[in-house]
Amino acid sequence: MPLPPGSAVDALLARRVLVVTGKGGVGKTSVSLALGVLAARRGMRTLVCETSGADNVCGRFGLTSGGYAVTQLAPDLYSMSIRPEAAIEEYLLRMLRFRKLYEMVFRNRVMAPFIDAVPGLHDLVQLGKVFDLERERPAGLVGRRRAWDLLVIDAPATGHGISMLTAPRGMMRLTRAGPFHDNARDVAALIEDPARTAIVLVSLPEELPVSETTELYGRLGNFQAQVACVVLNAVEAGRLPPTYPSLRPALAAGANPAGMDALALADALLRRVNAQDHARASLARLGPPVLDLPDVDAPVLGPTQLDRLADALGGEAEATR
Amino acid sequence: MTPVYICCGAGGVGKTTSSAGLALAQARAGARVVVLTIDPARRLADALGVRVGNEPSPVLLPPELEAKGSLHALMLDPKETFDRVVSRFAPTPEARDRIYKNHIYQHASANLAGSQEYMAMERLYELAREDHWDCVVLDTPPTHHALDFLAAPDRMANLMDEGVMRWIVLPASRGGWRMLERGSEVLASVLERMVGNSTIADIAEFFTAFQALWDGFRERSIEVRTLLSAPSTKFLLVTTPAPAARAEARLFVEQLRTHRQPLAGFLVNRCLVAPPNPGAPSFGPDPGLAGWAESVAELTALPERQRARVEVQEANIAELVRGTTAPVWRIPDLGSAVHDLGGIIRISGYVGAVVPEWGTGLGGTS
Ligand SMILES: Nc1ncnc2c1ncn2[C@@H]1O[C@H](COP(=O)(O)OP(=O)(O)OP(=O)(O)O)[C@@H](O)[C@H]1O
Ligand SMILES: Nc1ncnc2c1ncn2[C@@H]1O[C@H](COP(=O)(O)OP(=O)(O)OP(=O)(O)O)[C@@H](O)[C@H]1O
Ligand SMILES: [Mg+2]
Ligand SMILES: [Mg+2]
Repeated sequence: MPLPPGSAVDALLARRVLVVTGKGGVGKTSVSLALGVLAARRGMRTLVCETSGADNVCGRFGLTSGGYAVTQLAPDLYSMSIRPEAAIEEYLLRMLRFRKLYEMVFRNRVMAPFIDAVPGLHDLVQLGKVFDLERERPAGLVGRRRAWDLLVIDAPATGHGISMLTAPRGMMRLTRAGPFHDNARDVAALIEDPARTAIVLVSLPEELPVSETTELYGRLGNFQAQVACVVLNAVEAGRLPPTYPSLRPALAAGANPAGMDALALADALLRRVNAQDHARASLARLGPPVLDLPDVDAPVLGPTQLDRLADALGGEAEATR
Repeated sequence: MTPVYICCGAGGVGKTTSSAGLALAQARAGARVVVLTIDPARRLADALGVRVGNEPSPVLLPPELEAKGSLHALMLDPKETFDRVVSRFAPTPEARDRIYKNHIYQHASANLAGSQEYMAMERLYELAREDHWDCVVLDTPPTHHALDFLAAPDRMANLMDEGVMRWIVLPASRGGWRMLERGSEVLASVLERMVGNSTIADIAEFFTAFQALWDGFRERSIEVRTLLSAPSTKFLLVTTPAPAARAEARLFVEQLRTHRQPLAGFLVNRCLVAPPNPGAPSFGPDPGLAGWAESVAELTALPERQRARVEVQEANIAELVRGTTAPVWRIPDLGSAVHDLGGIIRISGYVGAVVPEWGTGLGGTS
């Protein structure tokens, strides 16, 4: 059944950090933004952090990206792109305190490519930035304990998404001691805390994406317990009357050529709807609740479409076709 | 050089599916084809009924297909490929084992930025040099920027740069980081403070162990680059008609230009097809069955809705190819996931024209 409205999403929005992941192109960015829109509507100061380097969030709101700087998208809704290069620079600069020293140590011909290749370093510093944002104190916002009520992380796709989640542990194993190790441990504590961090998996109502989601869920290991919901995105909203299958022979008997085309399209639609029901059923077997998001059938998902997706997520006013 | 077709594109657009279709189309046309795929989900291996492994295994084609050539498929295992490279370039078995056992290598061979891409290039090169293939088709890994893997050999070569190596390794071999050039004292102490002594030792050991492999590695990355820029190597962009795919696709075209690689064509996958018959649908007189009127109303709207979608799609495709002269091939959406040989056979029917006459290279029309 489509969305058990509200409750799963309420639990989701009670966290500090939401990590949205799934296969490439399934709608991670759209779902991250829809969650952001919903949270912002409820008065939460929300920051959507893009981490895959695509930096395509602001564009959907008709704004130019501020890159690593926070850009306001709507009331209470903000975004930034956590580019690994910028995050590394910020992190190392803070450790070394002097830009000259940073440049000498890390940006020379020798170290630069090495730093870029250290396994998991990019992922770690991106999460490190999330860690900082989570603790950030508001500047000039009286009465607020934290600068951000909710951080939505538009994480990289599948395999890379997992390496991001496991990067802190990886770095702890790699370094064994020292400030890198300690920082990684702090970041791990946030990311692995089910009370503060939840994972949202995004899937599509097709066989392959669903089996990849299942596989991804399997590979999450200890993080499985933090999967708060699975979003079944771009669900076909078109429906045929329940009597259609039984009428089909009679309809076909009297159909003109264009009518036969219509029947072929209807059959395809039915197949899609059936595949969708299967998809939802197999995702439901994973355990976490499955939330439907409609296919909004628009070339670009801008504020209007995201509003509709937020409606659907929040279980508010059923989106109109 | 053996003709190579590289299918690039954003995640999930159908690179694996269309690579397999393209390879099969060429096998049907008479070529001995090998398709090298990087499909983490390993579905293609199942679809084609082959074992997963680093050696090409034959795909059994149904006789009624009357394929004049043959098809082999190979599913890349990056870690195993990395091990093979090490084993090939290591001067002695001891040197090889030293690398295999290194803490950093164990971590790096699977996770090193770009190692999967690099290994795909590496394996591609090997296949292109074997003379029992008429054609190699490469399915590229899902990277955010479709062409990231092109830079992989360079990145690997940079990392393995002799200057870099010597700089890191020499001091280590003299018992510390104290012999570095200007600024080294500070550097050494900063690094040690940050990552700890044992990590520095691991890193130094890794590079020391790799020292013996430098030349092989550097030479190889130059050869791979040569293969990639050969005129017999064709880049195809796999994409979908979705507008979101456009930005990605344009970026790809840009990147190809920067790498001075001509784009051989667009494979626009999962296209919607307009209903062939014009006019309004009709279904004869209402026989008085329950739900008839509602069904007819829904059905009547479907062809128009489909045509509207196709129109949006065509506008998107036109926008996608604006300013390029590369040909476009459309692959229709098959309506359900492509997960068996039957599906791949259907796909192959739409990409046969990508290589019109086997061996004469790429041509075609939009
Ligand atoms: N519910 C929906 N209805 C209609 N179109 C959608 C929906 N969700 C996503 N899309 C479209 O699908 C495409 C991919 O969506 P999106 O960019 O959110 O995916 P992603 O997972 O972030 O992709 P990537 O892996 O490339 O970052 C976009 O064209 C978007 O407009
Ligand atoms: N023409 C088509 N019609 C219907 N389904 C298709 C078509 N092409 C691909 N698919 C389906 O789309 C999904 C993605 O295809 P595929 O795995 O080939 O994409 P990919 O680009 O290789 O993905 P990745 O980036 O994850 O490697 C699969 O479920 C596949 O079966
Ligand atoms: Mg995205
Ligand atoms: Mg693939």
